[in-house]
Amino acid sequence: MRRVPLAPRPDWQTQVERLGFAFHTIDGQTYWDESVAYGFTLAQIERDIEAPTDAIEQLCFAFIEKAIADDEILSRLAIPVGQWDFIRESWRRGDRNLYGRLDLAYDGKGPAKLLEYNADTPTALFESAVVQWDWLEQAMARGVLRPDCDQFNALHERLIAAFAQLRQPSPYRLHLACVQNSNEDRGTVDYLMDCAVQAGLDARFTYIEEIGLLSDGRFCDGANQPIETLFKLYPWEWLFRESYAANLATSRCQFVEPPWKALLSNKGLLACLWAMEPGHPNLLPAFFEGDPRCAGLAARHVRKPLYSREGANIALIERGAVIDSDDGPYGAEGFILQDAAPNLFAQDGRYAVLGSWLVASQASGLCVREDVSPITKNSSRFVPHYIEG
Amino acid sequence: MKRSTQIGLAAAGVLLVATYWGRSGSQDQSEESLVYANLAECRAGGQLTSTQCEQRFNEATANHLRDAKKFTSTSACETEYGSGSCRSAVWNGAQVVVPALAGIMLARSLAQGGGAAQPLLPPTQQACPPGSQAPECQQARSSSSGSSGGGGGYGGRGSSSSARAFSTTSGAAVVARAGSSPGVATTTTTTSRGGFGSTARSYSSSSSS
Repeated sequence: MRRVPLAPRPDWQTQVERLGFAFHTIDGQTYWDESVAYGFTLAQIERDIEAPTDAIEQLCFAFIEKAIADDEILSRLAIPVGQWDFIRESWRRGDRNLYGRLDLAYDGKGPAKLLEYNADTPTALFESAVVQWDWLEQAMARGVLRPDCDQFNALHERLIAAFAQLRQPSPYRLHLACVQNSNEDRGTVDYLMDCAVQAGLDARFTYIEEIGLLSDGRFCDGANQPIETLFKLYPWEWLFRESYAANLATSRCQFVEPPWKALLSNKGLLACLWAMEPGHPNLLPAFFEGDPRCAGLAARHVRKPLYSREGANIALIERGAVIDSDDGPYGAEGFILQDAAPNLFAQDGRYAVLGSWLVASQASGLCVREDVSPITKNSSRFVPHYIEG
Repeated sequence: MKRSTQIGLAAAGVLLVATYWGRSGSQDQSEESLVYANLAECRAGGQLTSTQCEQRFNEATANHLRDAKKFTSTSACETEYGSGSCRSAVWNGAQVVVPALAGIMLARSLAQGGGAAQPLLPPTQQACPPGSQAPECQQARSSSSGSSGGGGGYGGRGSSSSARAFSTTSGAAVVARAGSSPGVATTTTTTSRGGFGSTARSYSSSSSS
């Protein structure tokens, strides 16, 4: 694993915009940064990232089996009691999932360590699947990189295949929804909608705020069309607490991601996995705050709210003192404490976190995000990667 | 190879990532819908510009054939939608009969920002049986058969124009009421709207990760 400075394409904005990538710069700050790239060996990708990603997903499935039969775990995860059966049913029915992203600490040596699982509403998908793919093609064509380089990135074709498999009979009608006024979320949903169309589906967009309730109990879109299958880029923990929460289970809607993903997209998962497999090479020691075993954590550890996005409310603690933190609105549901990763890649004043993508529970690609602090925030930059030829 | 063999950048129409980004919503957070029977009514309504009206009608027309229930004969269509409410069309190479486009409906809060316009059909026979004296059914029949109905002109409607019945392509009845809020519809089968999204409004950060 190497951090390699490279000259950006002189017309890189034009090049990425031609793909429809409209948020390469966010609030005036660079987000897509091709002045540097990360190079990996094929062995690093397959042995240290791909295989552990598949293994962690299997461990997560074992955890779900355990959690749905254990009221104490569901309570620790702060899942509202009224939604427990909704979640259990979705798992027992075998509702299929589309995608997720494991965030991993990895410095090129030894096993990658799980920082968290963005199982429900991950973004950075379009830039992972398309923009960095096109970047590599051009870098090899221009002779900046050797022509036999590769990339861990089968996202695009796997997403199309997964959409066709989500529901039977296929093709089916799929609604895709996100919140108003977020270009990044809309960009992610527009990309997924394009994949769904390529899978042959009747794909329709609606805003989350537009969704209505029909008198027969089904949800409908802004044009009052009943919603049968809904991809929602909107977190389950919020849906569980809003006005229509009590209508979810009776809506006869198939949700993507399925309700059981709520058990994984929760930092409590990290403590639960460690309790199941203490010493697992890809896990960091983690406990719910207040657990006496927290005393055994490393002097340098991280405090994370059960629900948190884009690094919000996460604090890095060294010998009792907070040395880095990010403000935010989260934390009411509780916290976990986790050892700080000893293998976070750091060079030239930059920290890199790997995002290992799963599509339909299969490891399918990689993205790298860099930040000037060890906590990856919404200020982090997306940096392309390649496999050395 | 560990990467996709193609993303289809060269193949026209394969990579259709939108270059169209949603603009910010209007200040009006009303959850009502706007209903217009025709282009002139939309322009006279003053909620949308003339160009927006044309765009919305074009969208609804494009969706109309896709979404409308298809019949193999005029009589079968008229049995469901009433006499004079149907027209023939070609769909996927086949001759079909569909209920005619009777208007469009769109969410008021999204009308400016490009929310989808929904095609409206004449009311079903179930909602407006033959001989019905309900004023919204009178108006609906006369407007879908092409006459101007009521008091004539855009502003001088008579009392019979205070309400009109339509149906959605999924079969829901829609009654549009004029009066203090011209063209505002209440849909009988949508019991509520806007039950999701409140958490996102209360947070400044993104809902995704």
